[in-house]
Amino acid sequence: MDADRNYSELAQRTRAALASVNALPGVAKPDPILLAENVRRNFGGVTAVDVQHLEVQRGSITALIGPNGAGKTTLFNLLTGFDTPDTGEWMFDSRNLKKVVAHKTASLGMVRTFQLTKSLTKLSVIENMKLGATHQIGEKWWNGLLPFRYRKQEAIIERRADELLKRFKLDHMRDQYAGTLSGGQRKLLEMARALMTNPRLVMLDEPMAGVNPALKQSLNEHIRGLRDDGMTVLFVEHDMDMVHDVSDWVVVMAEGRIIAEGTPEQISSNPAVIEAYLGTHQGKSLLDEENA
Amino acid sequence: MDIIKIIENTIAAFFGIDAAYFALAAIGLNIQFGYTGLLNFGQSAFMACGAYGLGMTSQYFGVGMWWGILIGLALVVILGLLVGIPTLRLRADYLAIVTIATAEIVRLVVRSVRFKQYFGGSDGINSFSTSFRSLSPFDPGAQYGIRPFQYSGYSLWTMIVGWSLVIIFSSLVYMLMKSPWGRVVKAIREDEDAVRSLGKNVYSYKMQSLIIGGVVGMFSGMIFALDRGSVQPDNYSRDVTFYVLTALVLGGVAKVRGSVIGPMMFWGLYVFSDNFLRELTKDKPFNLFGIGIIQKSQVGPVNYMLIGLGLMLLMTFRPQGVFGSKEEMALDGR
Amino acid sequence: MTDTDNSKSRILALGRAFAIFVAAMFMFSAPGIAHAADSENTIIVSVQNQANNNGVSEKKPVVGVKISVANLTGLAIGEGVTDSSGSVIIPVPGKDDYVVTLDVASLPSGVTLIEGTKTVVNIVKDAFTTNAKRVTFFAGTSGESGASLFDRVAQRLVDGVRLGLIIAICSVGLSLIFGTTGLTNFAHGEMVTFGGLMAFWFNVLLGVPLLIAAPVVIALGGLLGLAMNGIIFAKLRKRGIGLISQLVVSVGLSIMLRNMYLYQFGGRTRPLDDYSLQVAKHFGPVSITIRDLSTTIISFIVLMCVAGYLQRSRTGKAIRAVSDNPSLASSTGIDTQKIIRIVWFAGGALAAMGGLFRGLDEQVGFEMGAGLIFLMFAGITLGGLGSAYGALVGGFLVGLLVELASLVVPAELKNAPALLILIIVLVVRPQGILGRKQRVG
Repeated sequence: MDADRNYSELAQRTRAALASVNALPGVAKPDPILLAENVRRNFGGVTAVDVQHLEVQRGSITALIGPNGAGKTTLFNLLTGFDTPDTGEWMFDSRNLKKVVAHKTASLGMVRTFQLTKSLTKLSVIENMKLGATHQIGEKWWNGLLPFRYRKQEAIIERRADELLKRFKLDHMRDQYAGTLSGGQRKLLEMARALMTNPRLVMLDEPMAGVNPALKQSLNEHIRGLRDDGMTVLFVEHDMDMVHDVSDWVVVMAEGRIIAEGTPEQISSNPAVIEAYLGTHQGKSLLDEENA
Repeated sequence: MDIIKIIENTIAAFFGIDAAYFALAAIGLNIQFGYTGLLNFGQSAFMACGAYGLGMTSQYFGVGMWWGILIGLALVVILGLLVGIPTLRLRADYLAIVTIATAEIVRLVVRSVRFKQYFGGSDGINSFSTSFRSLSPFDPGAQYGIRPFQYSGYSLWTMIVGWSLVIIFSSLVYMLMKSPWGRVVKAIREDEDAVRSLGKNVYSYKMQSLIIGGVVGMFSGMIFALDRGSVQPDNYSRDVTFYVLTALVLGGVAKVRGSVIGPMMFWGLYVFSDNFLRELTKDKPFNLFGIGIIQKSQVGPVNYMLIGLGLMLLMTFRPQGVFGSKEEMALDGR
Repeated sequence: MTDTDNSKSRILALGRAFAIFVAAMFMFSAPGIAHAADSENTIIVSVQNQANNNGVSEKKPVVGVKISVANLTGLAIGEGVTDSSGSVIIPVPGKDDYVVTLDVASLPSGVTLIEGTKTVVNIVKDAFTTNAKRVTFFAGTSGESGASLFDRVAQRLVDGVRLGLIIAICSVGLSLIFGTTGLTNFAHGEMVTFGGLMAFWFNVLLGVPLLIAAPVVIALGGLLGLAMNGIIFAKLRKRGIGLISQLVVSVGLSIMLRNMYLYQFGGRTRPLDDYSLQVAKHFGPVSITIRDLSTTIISFIVLMCVAGYLQRSRTGKAIRAVSDNPSLASSTGIDTQKIIRIVWFAGGALAAMGGLFRGLDEQVGFEMGAGLIFLMFAGITLGGLGSAYGALVGGFLVGLLVELASLVVPAELKNAPALLILIIVLVVRPQGILGRKQRVG
């Protein structure tokens, strides 16, 4: 399956770097963009997240998988500042993110999407996109009163937005209210909008959920495209096909802990992973994959 | 029943100074509530900042009237921070609770005997509008206009200034809302977390919206005080905010047209109802099924009851008001 | 649903709303309650003696003071003499500018106005926000007189306990309604006023002794709560109308009810018949009337019963469960709609009780509950929105703190510290003493 894919230069280098990494939970990576240590979160007696050590390789597509309730979304929330952990330290690009609030992490280049899509239904598609751009002059209220001050930048932003929309095949809907889009289209919009922030790390929370199968292939292409553009992608997914198809590295969580790490092939033959999923899997099971 | 008089008064109400100062307050409230989703139930306190800022220039500071605008601005910013800092990071309900408490406290403070030397107590402040009067090109004593719409020179002057301010501010708000700033604020109303995930400081925008809306409300209070020639504490009660809210919802939230036409319609309806009921009960109480349910002295309360009922019905059956779009509301989960 | 069905059901609903409105106006068309006094425009002048015992503002009326009203040109409009309640009502031709003069010579011997009080007061036309303009002259020495700090604190504590218990009773419903439905009910103050007004109706107009009328009043309050939920808020919830919109509807309801009360009851406050004129008994440094002592004790017992009910009984536990976490509770088989109905009934009943006690304590008026509402909000915020015990604790503390604060803050600004409490709580610990953190951000 991998043999007939052409990997970009960047991708090849990343994959080569990962090839030398042992398949152990919490293993160090040659060039981590994200590093988390002893991150713990309790909810009224239940330990939602208990991650001793996690590193994400720069420029890779890393999948975060695990049964429901494993703590994946909670971990996302903690890393991006949408929730506060009880303990832990984590760094993004060697910058300590402890106590950095949600909007700050986003402006630092670490952007995330949500499990329940947050496309702003009362704005048009193009407005949604333009919202994503950073450092907008017109977003200061005194400039807002003087259109001539932000007009030029606005046009540049709009051009970039249109390009992205075309890439995601949403351009024909640009002027419609986002609320009229289908579920899958909204997911694409959220992803495209996130890209407007020029992130270095894109964290996608279940990008495939609710997307019709025809769209899933092109979604994979988009994600690969992100990596080829130099971004790092960390995504949560249940669809094993997709995970196997697109990821360079897989991290498995269960009951708040990381129980395994490795390449997709290593993970699918890992007995601990299979056990964690037995009886609780979604989509295709890894065992079926093996026998196919 | 003098129908002609009722109609005359109603038409006059559409363009009167009351509609103008309501419109200014509604424009401000629209920025906060209509566009950003902030439940500011203390707009009357911001109005009081303007009125008292003006009044204090003569009463307490002994400086010219124009300083009143600066004093009012300072008061608005202080009040906005006081109210916003504790609440803007929390649920919308908390802002509602704190602003209603603040409006009440502001009213009690300016009304108090303790601070009478600054604010004039329950008598209010009555002598500060002279420099404003002197700017008027109209002769205060003379009557202008054609029958039956006649106004004294001073009233005409305040009406013109008032409506000019309405036009100016509604244009400014229109432009502001079309700008990227407006885009962020409208997005915040729908989903704060989505906006945060794009790197915007939601708290800061909410605070800006609160204060900008408060500043427009400040001008509302000033115009009102200038027209009446006095600043009276009981005119800035929390109910005033609710009436402005009703007028805004009537016109249509998040629409600039709504914040101007709504108050005009509100006053037209209110004056019509008021005049109509007074005519009805002029000589004897209004009877229904043999029981006198409305007497002349009760017209005021009955009218306000209708406002309350109107607000309830509007929010339930036509929350988009006159100018709002049904589709926008339909996409609304709030 | 087709469009025509939709508009038909709307018209039906509108019609129903209107019918209820008109019916409500009839319901209260009791034989002329207060209209005579409030017809036309009037100036109501009141002379009160603040000379107090240990800071208890007994508000002793000053009788027989001559008041005259003239217009700006000096033409005499009317005059009168203060009656046994210290007030005199002087009718005036309309909303206009007037001059009110107090004849110092007519003050009873030994009574002087507070230093610095002007005996001539100017009223401008715009001061008439309703048909009546109130002017009050205060006699006596301002502030506390002679009592030691300990005595004053002790008195305040007693007053604070009394007020705190009343606020606690009134706010339990408010907190539980928020907990179970998410609605911040801005019309809750009017439910309190309802209790006071109903008590007045039974006791003063119908002559029923208060001890018999009280349970009826409380039951009626519960029915009002049921009606508000059944007619309005349950329907709104079913239509999927958001919480913010429901909040605004409750604001509209508050306006409507308050003015309905004004329309029926008039603008003045009146005392209840039974137990209203009592002399304060002195227990050491503290003075309190038997009536107030009784209501305080009864309030305390009621609160203990409510707390016990919530703690022990099955329904009580279900209420707490739904209030803490509605979705979790319904998944365990609790009938949340039934619990919500019980909460509205109990909330309304307790509010009415609070209004009844308050009416005994102060007087009954159309705004009596509206004045309390933001003390209630401060209380439930302090205690924790959505927590029943939080309302009890928070309400009690707010009442206590407000009365204690009046030691340092002028009486007219007594409620201001409540706002301070509100702000401090929201900055330091937004979920209040007993609330849950997730409810807040």
